[in-house]
Amino acid sequence: MPQLNPAPWFAIMVFSWLVFLAVLPPKVLAHYFPNDPTPQSVKKSKSETWTWPWL
Amino acid sequence: MTLSLFDQFMSPTLLGVPLIGLALALPWVLFFQPGARWMNNRLVTLQAVFMNWFVKQIFQPMSLGGHKWAALLMSLMLFLITLNMLGLLPYTFTPTTQLSLNMAFAVPLWLATVIIGMRNQPTHALGHLLPEGTPTALIPVLIVIETISLFIRPLALGVRLTANLTAGHLLIQLIATAAFVLFPMMPSVAILTSILLFLLTLLEIAVAMIQAYVFVLLLSLYLQENV
Repeated sequence: MPQLNPAPWFAIMVFSWLVFLAVLPPKVLAHYFPNDPTPQSVKKSKSETWTWPWL
Repeated sequence: MTLSLFDQFMSPTLLGVPLIGLALALPWVLFFQPGARWMNNRLVTLQAVFMNWFVKQIFQPMSLGGHKWAALLMSLMLFLITLNMLGLLPYTFTPTTQLSLNMAFAVPLWLATVIIGMRNQPTHALGHLLPEGTPTALIPVLIVIETISLFIRPLALGVRLTANLTAGHLLIQLIATAAFVLFPMMPSVAILTSILLFLLTLLEIAVAMIQAYVFVLLLSLYLQENV
């Protein structure tokens, strides 16, 4: 089975972790969700319920 | 004959450039960073929806201490699902068929969860080695069994992903070869084989997504036990 060939193992490990640590987290952390929803435990909601005022 | 079918998993090189390097480095151009706009384009919004859903799904049952892992597990999920799905396209190489890659992620991350558990709450972490309600006579045996199952976790994690993807790609190659060879001789059988190939490809798409999800889910479960 060619996957068991030990020659590229170290290179693959190093390179994949390099990509995983350097490239991905900036792309993940760039997604910012500014909405701060009210937690379930709180009695009073931070916002009012939305209604369609023009209808 | 079977040995040559495994050739597709050999780390390919082209003019001395290992193509696994390209397969690992290039897919991330598909993930754009959100701009400064209030509303982004559809692709970025879709990716954001997926990330939001995934983080909620994984971290809702987890205590607050484990939430530090959100960026790591989200990155891992993106990593695995992108590599798996892109590998299903023709003429691509799937890095996650390489045991080296999967073990490179499974072992350190599993070890991290175990070390976190042992350092912060050693009694609780060791308590997982003995399920509740065990008959007294079985306690020594069960501790041995549970320890073995603890240490087999990284192996299972890595090999599960490798084996699923390798088997899928191998099947696709086998059935595609069969359809291709049968076409001049028995076209009707070749068409049936092609239909089978189509269904198999649909299955492999599902497997690609599910295996990435299972990998990250299991890691999050190991974290939940220990955090």
